[in-house]
Amino acid sequence: MYLYLPVALTSINILIPVGLGLAVGLLSGLFGVGGGFLLTPLLIMFGIPSTVAAATDSNQIVAASTSGTYAHWKVGNVDFKMGLYLLVGGFVGGIIGVQAIKLLHAMGNADFVIKMTYVLMLGIVGVYMFIESIQSMRKKKAGAAEEVQEEKETAVGRFLKSLPLQTRFEKSGVTHSALVPIVLGAFVGILAAIMGVGGGFLMVPVMVYMLRMPMHVVVGTSLFQILFTCIEVTFLQAYTNHSVDFLLAVLLLVGSTVGAQIGTVFGRKLKGEQLKVLLAAIVLIVTVKIVFELTLTPALLISQAGGH
Amino acid sequence: MKRRHGDAVTRRQGEKEMQKKAKCGFTATIVLAFMMLVGYAGNASAMLTAKANHDHITIDFFYHGSTVGVKGISDAGRDLVIKITSPEGHQVMKQKGKVAGVLWMNVGTLKFENTPNMYELFSTKKVEDILTAEEQKKHTLGYAALADHVEISPLANAAEKTQWFGEFVKFKEASNLYKTDFGRIEMKDLADGHQEYFIQTQWPYQAAPGEYLVSVYAVKDGKVVEQAESHVKVEQIGMVKTLAGMAKDSAALYGFLSIGVALSAGFGVGMVFRKGGGSH
Repeated sequence: MYLYLPVALTSINILIPVGLGLAVGLLSGLFGVGGGFLLTPLLIMFGIPSTVAAATDSNQIVAASTSGTYAHWKVGNVDFKMGLYLLVGGFVGGIIGVQAIKLLHAMGNADFVIKMTYVLMLGIVGVYMFIESIQSMRKKKAGAAEEVQEEKETAVGRFLKSLPLQTRFEKSGVTHSALVPIVLGAFVGILAAIMGVGGGFLMVPVMVYMLRMPMHVVVGTSLFQILFTCIEVTFLQAYTNHSVDFLLAVLLLVGSTVGAQIGTVFGRKLKGEQLKVLLAAIVLIVTVKIVFELTLTPALLISQAGGH
Repeated sequence: MKRRHGDAVTRRQGEKEMQKKAKCGFTATIVLAFMMLVGYAGNASAMLTAKANHDHITIDFFYHGSTVGVKGISDAGRDLVIKITSPEGHQVMKQKGKVAGVLWMNVGTLKFENTPNMYELFSTKKVEDILTAEEQKKHTLGYAALADHVEISPLANAAEKTQWFGEFVKFKEASNLYKTDFGRIEMKDLADGHQEYFIQTQWPYQAAPGEYLVSVYAVKDGKVVEQAESHVKVEQIGMVKTLAGMAKDSAALYGFLSIGVALSAGFGVGMVFRKGGGSH
């Protein structure tokens, strides 16, 4: 059955957005990512204008992350304190990132910087996570994981502990200076604004490797943080660009809210390392896809202006 | 006294102006009537007619394109060209190019002026076989004539115009908005020396709401000898119209509504799963 989308000005088989929403919601619940880096290109592939695809995607992420945050909160996997510090940093980073994009556009090489940032960040994050989690799984089997972690923490840990405003994050079981999540949040916020994504796939590794939070709390906290980022983005897109398609968002969120719940249930059955390996594999597949898009001659050499 | 005198002068001026306006109105009526007579005489002598059978397409939630038939009568033995176009406007497109010799990415934007968003052309034979290049250009019939008509900027040379217009047509054809087709117009000879023509085409759901012009050209000896027109109106109705209007005119409310529904759906599904599952 087809439905006409009033803002996208196109008609779509309802099974497509519901199915895509379900798949992306599943990833949200499993890994704590919004899934914008997967869903936006898929929507464009199915004929949705790029500006509408990006804006509506953020609207459906609001639903999926609400559903996911709720499910994770129920099982005690959301560190609200850490989430708030990261949000403050992310908000500041977003403002800096938007200014950086304006500057890059004025200099005329924005697209090159955005694409390269995308490939490099995805590539580095994917490869690092993949190798680290495979090693971690092997070491756990050998029963030596605890000692290695202790050794690793001493180098960076000493510097972090010397910073002021030390505070305890009970839910995550870690102690950090309040400045650490704020600065890291700002760093992700800058990159997310430059790349035009929610930043979940960057935030998750930052929380795992730099803030040393347990993987299951990372997923819930990341979703909590993404929820607020996407509420802001949805409103700005609707208000300034008029590019949110309400009906498309409803179709997507029918799938994604259910998917997020299923993902959360599945996620609880998997170990932290298994989740990391799976996320790393998805990030690497997306990186390879982008590299192909950049190097193979495109079928069409022009596209509607206004997207990314 | 002075004021009364002043009032009288103003009244006289007003009367003079009224008379002047009445004279102008009378002259205009005569000219209009003459023009209508001339126009009527012109139509009476023309044989070519055109009618779109589905001239008001309404877009509701279940709209997935439509079917439009164009039919009419022309003098026997004439070739026909049918053009369906949206009003011309300007479109901005992102232009892909190679960076550092290996990477394909957006390298700039191109502005296309005098460009219809939709352009469909049907003819009894290939337009270049039945019309001279001049006539094609005069009536913008065929991609070659449209390429001449469209202005693209910024461009370095004429060769670039051919290249980027070709890419533009490829993009539009992929969106089902541009099409050229020949040999599909059905013709039937009538007893009175005329012929009846008919073509049915799929109206693309990608065509935006608006007024579309259907122009039919009768062709003889390489020239357009007659022309007739019909219109197709595409309009959003009901909730589709309400939502599209709200997105533009009440953007803040629309934004809050979108967020509110998303939040409620997220919580709602979360509650349902909690009740249904009960295990977590």
